[in-house]
Amino acid sequence: MRSPLRRWMVCLAVLSCTCLAANEVTNQDLLEDARIGADWLNYHGGYAGHRHSLLDQVNRSNVEGLRLDWAFQERISEKFEVTPLVHEGIMYITVPPGDVYALDAETGARLWRYSRRMPEKLIACCGLVNRGLALLGDRLFMATLDAYTIALDRKTGRLLWQTELIDYSLGYSGTHAPLVVKDMVMVGTAGGEYGIRGFIDAFDVETGERRWRFYTVPGPGEFGHDTWAGESWRTGGASIWITPSYDPELNLVYWGVGNPGPDWNGDVRLGDNLFSDSVVALDADTGKRKWHFQFTPHDVHDWDATQVMVLLDKQYRGEMRKLLVTANRNGFIYMLDRETGEFLKATQFVKQTWAVGISEGGRPIRRPGMEPSAEGIEVFPAVAGGTNWMSPAYNPDTGLLYVSCREGSSMYYKGETEYRPGTRYWGSMFVNEPTVHNWYGAVRAFDPVTAERVWEHRLFQPAWAGLLSTAGGIIFAGSTDGFFKALDATSGKERWRINLGAAILASPMTYESEGRQMVAVASGGGVFVFALPRQAAQ
Amino acid sequence: MRPLRYLVLLLAFPIVLAAARTHETNPMSTPEEFAEGKRLYRINCGVCHGMEGKTGRGARLARRSYRRGNSDAELFDLIEAGIPGTDMPGLWLGEDDIWKILLFVRTFAEKASELCEVTSGDAEAGKRVFETQGSCLACHTVGSRGGRLGPDMSFAGEMYTTQQLRDALLDPGGAVADRYRTVRLVSKDGEAVEGVRMNENLYNIFIMDRSENIRSFRKEHLQSLEQPGESLMPAYGDLLSEADIDNLLAYLCTLPGHAKEDPQ
Ligand code: HEC
Ligand code: HEC
Repeated sequence: MRSPLRRWMVCLAVLSCTCLAANEVTNQDLLEDARIGADWLNYHGGYAGHRHSLLDQVNRSNVEGLRLDWAFQERISEKFEVTPLVHEGIMYITVPPGDVYALDAETGARLWRYSRRMPEKLIACCGLVNRGLALLGDRLFMATLDAYTIALDRKTGRLLWQTELIDYSLGYSGTHAPLVVKDMVMVGTAGGEYGIRGFIDAFDVETGERRWRFYTVPGPGEFGHDTWAGESWRTGGASIWITPSYDPELNLVYWGVGNPGPDWNGDVRLGDNLFSDSVVALDADTGKRKWHFQFTPHDVHDWDATQVMVLLDKQYRGEMRKLLVTANRNGFIYMLDRETGEFLKATQFVKQTWAVGISEGGRPIRRPGMEPSAEGIEVFPAVAGGTNWMSPAYNPDTGLLYVSCREGSSMYYKGETEYRPGTRYWGSMFVNEPTVHNWYGAVRAFDPVTAERVWEHRLFQPAWAGLLSTAGGIIFAGSTDGFFKALDATSGKERWRINLGAAILASPMTYESEGRQMVAVASGGGVFVFALPRQAAQ
Repeated sequence: MRPLRYLVLLLAFPIVLAAARTHETNPMSTPEEFAEGKRLYRINCGVCHGMEGKTGRGARLARRSYRRGNSDAELFDLIEAGIPGTDMPGLWLGEDDIWKILLFVRTFAEKASELCEVTSGDAEAGKRVFETQGSCLACHTVGSRGGRLGPDMSFAGEMYTTQQLRDALLDPGGAVADRYRTVRLVSKDGEAVEGVRMNENLYNIFIMDRSENIRSFRKEHLQSLEQPGESLMPAYGDLLSEADIDNLLAYLCTLPGHAKEDPQ
């Protein structure tokens, strides 16, 4: 654990005991984020999307003693989906719709607040949410609901620059935590339910100047443009709303891309609709596409591929491979070669009724008659998918991949739709009645290579909370009925739980403060931070 | 209503909006505006409320008055913002478009022929059946009186059609809402308990037993736990005469809610 030590040395040097945030966050820090443990510098706790921490003070033998250490609360009527960042004793969170807070990570005391003035009428399909920040140097970065990328001074919250992505009133917004790579901050646009044309931008961290843009719906003359009938590419959706993973050696950024629009009526957009429901691997410096893989060609069930891309190096068929593993909303776990995009395998991980299987090349073999219709058709998984944006976790000690799963079906309807800028472009809708009775959730552990299920911890309802893995052998999980819990990483056995009184719709994180491991999760209108009592932590 | 379903949908699609209404009453009136309203209703509302406003998936719109407000302004705000915590989503259309939709929605009330209507039967006699022979009052509240095992009947005349009420009386197990599901369990100590479900999670179940005690049980400690589909309410086909049932329906249709019945 390098940084607490460094903090102490700096503190001694100036003979003061409160040297919070003394050092700038460097690119090296970001590269080593997952290897250090004390801080949490990137949404996923490292570029590889593992959400695993090396902290092990809280472990199998003492986790029952975990208790609330402090809480942050605000009047939040929106879904609170943030993953906090922590750097040298300061926690940074976003609070919907457009606020940023710096908190003392030891006590929760507020240090500053930035409050963004938002237009009266924001446009977001699924709540005025924000999932968090990115950090580099003395700057914090945020994608805003009014479709800007902004930079704040991390010591004061002062706005340093803001660059408009595009006119928000057309249905665009920013909701995911940005990704910092080298001297760039990257952000994609949400708005897949409003007939947007999705894109990803990279900005200079110093000036906010745009370095490159990649359209997730190719324009005329671009590769993949012919996968959109007629003019449908103009309103094709393919939004971005979860932070990508990054492989520094290959210099590739892996973006999960959202659904095509309109969601449930594909007639106006015949074709595969690239790069909707795909992962695109972009060269970090140029934004050029190295490869792509589409999970659900011509999707009509709203199965965005905005799940976390987990980067692993593993033996596969006797060979060491650079892998990308992701549990997709369509009900299959995919394994790809992340250097080339080669499809290696796909395995069903929740009940699904829309595909007979996945072909050699990775294309789904569809079961006929499972498209939405005017009368409605029941299909598994439900519209929110077999999993969703909440983070999976990978634990290198157990070698297991952990996924928050959603079981159940929806009735899918198809209807007329017409594009009007800034309004819903759905093509009818889904209705969960009467199928909701077959819904439940589960945290499941898989061998990432064989995709074999090792254990399951059932949840009463489908999950919306992500997972955190720790070197203490604990998987932290949350449930829609408000329980935050610690599961044994090896067996799935529940070791500890607390009712937070509101659904958990965020992914937990962990950090170290004054010698103790802290575990934080957002729920309701609060961030709740847990630790062992001071004596027990010694 | 079904708390679980609504929670799940709330999470999937909660929508919050700032109102942008500049009129108190509907400024739309022309046939063209009406036609446009009908078209927009078809695209945006029909799937849940039905083209006639009678489908059960959304609330029934073919009725004389709405539970959540009846003025143009209230309905405008409701259509624009949706109803948080329910399937009813908000709508991002311009002010004019929402007024046009409302112009069309207003015509449902005129066609609301199957509303709770006092056709035959004597409401006074029905009230007696409700309170005595039928012992409905033991399980249902009207105004400030009555039991709490079943749903509040104070608004029955506004909430149900005559047919729905008749079905509920003759076949109570037909469509029991989650909140009122019957629970039968045997506790750790061998006590058999019956009641309606108030809430449930992975670990616990909470019920209101027949004596209206709210009780909580750890599922892992129970000897048995059943949630049969039937209702705790008896089927009244054999218990009451045709005439009693007609009178009862006549009475229920007169129930407008607390406001008129009881100033509290
Ligand atoms: C996804 C399904 C759905 C859609 C689409 C929908 N509604 Fe609703 N609506 C509901 C439900 C469910 C309720 C009942 C909510 C409750 O009170 O529990 C409701 C309630 C209402 C009410 C209030 C009824 C009352 O008694 O208070 C009105 C009025 C209404 N909707 C109008 C509309 C209009 C107009 C549209 C189209 C612009 C629309 N709804 C679209 C599901 C929907
Ligand atoms: C032993 C208690 C009990 C008695 C007695 C009883 N009910 Fe019920 N009633 C319930 C419960 C519990 C429900 C909810 C479950 C269901 O829908 O069947 C219910 C449901 C209903 C419903 C349907 C409500 C809805 O929203 O679907 C109506 C109408 C109703 N009762 C009317 C009556 C009338 C009229 C009587 C007397 C003739 C009566 N009940 C007697 C317990 C009772």
